[in-house]
Amino acid sequence: MKNKRSLFALPYVVWMAFFVVIPILLVLFYAFTSAAGGFTLDNFRNMGSYLVVFTHSFELAIIATLVCLIIGYPISYWMAKEGPRFQRIAMVLIMLPMWMNFLLRTYAWMSILENTGLLNRLFAAVGIIDLGNLINGGLNSLCAALNGAFGLSLNTARDTAMTYFQMINTSGAVVLGMVYNYLPFMILPIYSVIVKMDHSLLEAARDLGADSVTTFRRVIFPLSLPGILSGVTMVFVPSVSTFAISRLLGGSSEMLLGNLIEMQFTGTTYDPWLGSAISLVMMVIVVVCMYVMNRFGEGEEQAVML
Amino acid sequence: MKGKNRFGRRLSMALVFLFLYAPIFVLMVFSFNDSSSRTVWQGFTFDWYKELFQDSIILNSLYTTLLVALLSSAIATVAGTFAAIGFYNMKRRWRTPLLTINNIPMTNADIVTGVSMCLFFVAAFGAWNAFAQQFNADHVAQLPTLAMGFGTLLIAHITFNIPYVILSVSPKLRQMDKNLVEAAQDLGCTWMQAFFKVVLPEIKPGVVNGMLIAFTMSVDDFVISYFTAGPATSTLAMTIYGMTKKRISPKINAVSTLLFVTVLLLLVVVNVREVRQERAKKHPARQQEKNPRGKKFLLAGAAAAVILLLILSNQSDQRVVNVCGWGENIEPSLIEEFEKETGIKVNYQTAESNEAMYSKVVMGGSGYDVVVPSDYMVSQMRQEGLLAKLNFDNIPNYELIDDTYKNLSFDPDNQYAVPYTWGTLGIIYNTTMVDEPITSWSALFDPKYAGQVLMINNPRDAIGVALLYLGYSVNTHDEGEIQEAYELLRQAKAEGVYQSFVMDEVYDKMEAGEAAIAVYYAGDFLSMYDNNPDLAYVVPEEGSNWFVDAMCVLEDAAHKEEAEAWINFICQTQSCLANMDYIWYASPNGKALEEYPAYYKELYGEEMAPDLYEVMAAPADVLARCEAYDALPPEVNAIYKNLWTELGIKDG
Repeated sequence: MKNKRSLFALPYVVWMAFFVVIPILLVLFYAFTSAAGGFTLDNFRNMGSYLVVFTHSFELAIIATLVCLIIGYPISYWMAKEGPRFQRIAMVLIMLPMWMNFLLRTYAWMSILENTGLLNRLFAAVGIIDLGNLINGGLNSLCAALNGAFGLSLNTARDTAMTYFQMINTSGAVVLGMVYNYLPFMILPIYSVIVKMDHSLLEAARDLGADSVTTFRRVIFPLSLPGILSGVTMVFVPSVSTFAISRLLGGSSEMLLGNLIEMQFTGTTYDPWLGSAISLVMMVIVVVCMYVMNRFGEGEEQAVML
Repeated sequence: MKGKNRFGRRLSMALVFLFLYAPIFVLMVFSFNDSSSRTVWQGFTFDWYKELFQDSIILNSLYTTLLVALLSSAIATVAGTFAAIGFYNMKRRWRTPLLTINNIPMTNADIVTGVSMCLFFVAAFGAWNAFAQQFNADHVAQLPTLAMGFGTLLIAHITFNIPYVILSVSPKLRQMDKNLVEAAQDLGCTWMQAFFKVVLPEIKPGVVNGMLIAFTMSVDDFVISYFTAGPATSTLAMTIYGMTKKRISPKINAVSTLLFVTVLLLLVVVNVREVRQERAKKHPARQQEKNPRGKKFLLAGAAAAVILLLILSNQSDQRVVNVCGWGENIEPSLIEEFEKETGIKVNYQTAESNEAMYSKVVMGGSGYDVVVPSDYMVSQMRQEGLLAKLNFDNIPNYELIDDTYKNLSFDPDNQYAVPYTWGTLGIIYNTTMVDEPITSWSALFDPKYAGQVLMINNPRDAIGVALLYLGYSVNTHDEGEIQEAYELLRQAKAEGVYQSFVMDEVYDKMEAGEAAIAVYYAGDFLSMYDNNPDLAYVVPEEGSNWFVDAMCVLEDAAHKEEAEAWINFICQTQSCLANMDYIWYASPNGKALEEYPAYYKELYGEEMAPDLYEVMAAPADVLARCEAYDALPPEVNAIYKNLWTELGIKDG
């Protein structure tokens, strides 16, 4: 009887076989194939030269994830402490931007960060750019004086004629784009875990003499770990593999893994074999990271958004 | 103490919301701006909204986005719920590995999911189409050939949506009292009845939640759609991504504003209803008469809307032609005129560069009929057997093409290509941002212009200009010379000369004065000059590239006749004139090129400046120092490819 109902999953299992398993196997197949068609390891042989891209991508994604966690955790925690009405509105407000496509939101940042963009216009109007020039000039003369006095070689060539601050086409802009787009993915799972937390546990901790710091450290934080792990995954994975954010906010000077892969498939250097190999390596690294992280959490139950 | 704490908490929450919403408000404000600038306010207008509703590309992509989100979330909800029940009833030995596979689309990077599905569709359709071709040749019954499009997009969205539904439904199943179903069955229910009466109400919050997440994910997706939608289908995100590579129109701001306001209203309505329902619970009498019926109505309405959408989307008997051109490279009214004249619908897509177009075609499943590669790419594609021989009986207007553009090396026997435009590659610079007129390619490698140069983002042109500067031929096969050219670019990049590598982004950046110097094509300079008269164009003294872009039909095109009709239409003198006026690229139609100044005078009531005409149609003395690109042998292409990837990953 029981087994029969498990057949409900059969159509989906077939679906998965076709649209999840076979495609992944194809990536595997392409990664070990050459353009001519035979088996080869060449695609991996050059992987070393892409090390820069790998480290840069992981670096930016880790920074973005940490920033999301630092902002997202307290916000989720405080939100869960508010009244139900406030919570509902706050949830809606966090979800709402996701209903506009993430490219629209990234595009919005372009006009803010550009050299002739809104922020630079604002800075110029308020005189912050002049201030920057003044400070740079001051630092230059200070460094020159120090260099003269102590024989140092400090930088004395800071730009004192800036007409704008360079914000777009920098790593900072890319990280900002990641944080902006994926912050809800951090807040939602953490919030959903905290809000479901059993309050009698907190009371018990307090009754047993724990102060609020200890309660947080020994009870709340460990209990919210599944949410954190889920949030970290949901921010880290899209960050490390993005190509649209780096393309829009990083210009082409910010080459990330996503851009490298996209270039091989639809871009200027057609090489799906190499693209598959890079995808495969990225996938393996990410899976290993996630596996190790989940070992820490031991959380079998994955936190659900909302 | 406590009050202060609370204030601090609320303040930081408010700051986070400000961070989340500030860019959106900027977007919305500038949708009412009376100028196409995205940063300078010049007065209030509704014009962008009016234009938005006439822009079939944006509206179509919005429709695709919503349709795919609705369908995929609905299908995923049903399939996912049943799958969750199946998994729930499964032995652990089976369940654990299957759930791991189920998690793959969620935990895998979007780009890997997208790429893998793209490879799968290409392989599967390739095999199917080969079989169909064989079959159709031998049988009267005809099998259809398959190409990526809305169907593959939908499959991809369903695939990445189902796991979210399962993730959301499974915990509710686990929480459910197992005895409930048995009790219902003991009382005489069939399993199905028990499902609808007992199980479904129990897990409903999880199901609704799952559907909501699925819908959100679907609307928010870009990457997976980008790889699975094929050439003729485009979601809103894809349209925007395409636009950010060209000129971004405030129409995008307008569509964002509309989306935002709609969603906001929807959420307000839903929330108000929920609050009312909660209140109604306190007055049970009132709730009973109203609610169930209202819900059924809503459901029926939604179902009807979906069916209607499906019917609407299914008008596919029409003759179509899928054209892949360049951005800003066709007068849009020509498309309408052609559609009106012939009844053939034109799906006009753009590629970023020759190399990007080639990638899409060679990957297979592009679905394009007509492509417009440049000379060297025509040769390469012809040699690789990607192009079809044209039937010139269907293209009588070919005789209007000037002899200068016939029998060129890329198509020596005039079999594969019909020239579309020609022009030169050169330097565009902002006269207010440089001290002296630029005459040499050296400006592109000069640290003096650090951060001010936009280098062109395709290997052939970028390495080409470096070769020209070094005094080598753009067609050199000598690895040492190419390496030297690469070294020049690499060093300039390391010294920070290049602000970025761009293709059509160049329009926005040069017009707005974001950069001083750029490498781009003559015709595009004239478009930019229209919006910013401080710009100037020069074909450097070292010489440059003279190019011909030509219309070709792909070997695997599904609409060859329609494609030839399109090519014939474009060759007409009248089409060439209109096109030249819009895109400013010189036409190979001799009569049109000659007549253009007169056409201009008639249209604008003033003479065309002769120097501008000479930029468009370069005179003989300029052409004398220009060289056309030849196709490079595969081993040289491989060198270009490797060096280009390397240049990309080198830190700036």
